Amino acid sequence: MSGPMPGQKISLPGVKHVIAIASGKGGVGKSTVAANLALALHAKGQRVGLMDADIYGPSVPLMFGLGIVDQTKVPFPIEQYGLRLMSMGFLVDPKQAIIWRGPKVAQAVGTFLVQIPWGELDYLIIDLPPGTGDAQLTLSQQAPLTGAIVVTQPAEVSLIDARKGVTMFQEVRVPILGIVENMSYLVVPDGQRISPFGSGGGRRLAEEIGVPLLGEIPIESLVSSCGDDGEPIVRKFPEHAVSKAYADLAQSVITVMEKQPAGGGLPEVQL
Amino acid sequence: MSSTNEQLRPLSLKREGDGLLIEWNDGVRTFALWRRLRTDCPCATCNEERAKPPDPFRVLSAQEAAAGPPSPTAMKPLGHYAYQITWNDGHNTGIYPVELLRSLSEPK
Repeated sequence: MSGPMPGQKISLPGVKHVIAIASGKGGVGKSTVAANLALALHAKGQRVGLMDADIYGPSVPLMFGLGIVDQTKVPFPIEQYGLRLMSMGFLVDPKQAIIWRGPKVAQAVGTFLVQIPWGELDYLIIDLPPGTGDAQLTLSQQAPLTGAIVVTQPAEVSLIDARKGVTMFQEVRVPILGIVENMSYLVVPDGQRISPFGSGGGRRLAEEIGVPLLGEIPIESLVSSCGDDGEPIVRKFPEHAVSKAYADLAQSVITVMEKQPAGGGLPEVQL
Repeated sequence: MSSTNEQLRPLSLKREGDGLLIEWNDGVRTFALWRRLRTDCPCATCNEERAKPPDPFRVLSAQEAAAGPPSPTAMKPLGHYAYQITWNDGHNTGIYPVELLRSLSEPK
């Protein structure tokens, strides 16, 4: 597969909204949020694609009960649970490490956008790798991003990197649609809520940068086990409190996107 | 929520003579000379060159000499925030955020 030329603008005419799910720090559950948000949007009647842009550590195949795919027999994107999916994990054995320099990563991300026939979608959710590196820059410069959602934990150690992610998107003028606080609280058997990572961090960050706090997702061991078993919680237990939190998050995203002005790209130059 | 609506944004960019005529969303029209844009290229290499003391013995490369006055051969938008210019001397690593284009141009 060959990707777009460096600097080439990518256009996705059939896709209404392209949303990047980002985090400054790894391990905050960004891929889990991306997968469950995509499923929650689908449950609300939206046509949704999920592109796993984490080239070094793809997690979509595991979370959707898929593995390496024979490209000659199964066309990309792969359809599973009503979503259209693409991931580096469909192409490379999970035991094999991808040892690539930045330009190769940027090329792979561009290729996923350009060469995969995403078709007509209301939302293309892009699960970004953590950090502010090549994948983020390629998407910011070349992809028609409608906006970005930043995922954080409430702890300051997570917020400090989330702020960097926010700053990067502000520098490249990608609108930040809001903050999602993951692993927000734990509901103990007597019904009390406890906050092992502190509380209010996501809200503080949202207020600091003037964007909405889109959702607070509780900690629940089922979230992890469902993902590991290949069927995310929103799909497997749609009535669970966590799934309802994702349904609220999906509704918040739909509401924010309705207010988002269309066509934020810059005009072409008449030379 | 942060919106690109309130941010400075060009509405149209057009070559006019030896420069670029830009109409902005705040109603201002500005004109940037190609020479100014080339001289103030924001790429790392040009920044480093500008930081060095001027070299009176610098010899132009054959491509630079053949190119003549600076003029773009391409100018592409990058996402929501910048333009990348490819110059007639072959240089193409400068990415000009819209705020820089505004500051390098004069009201017209």
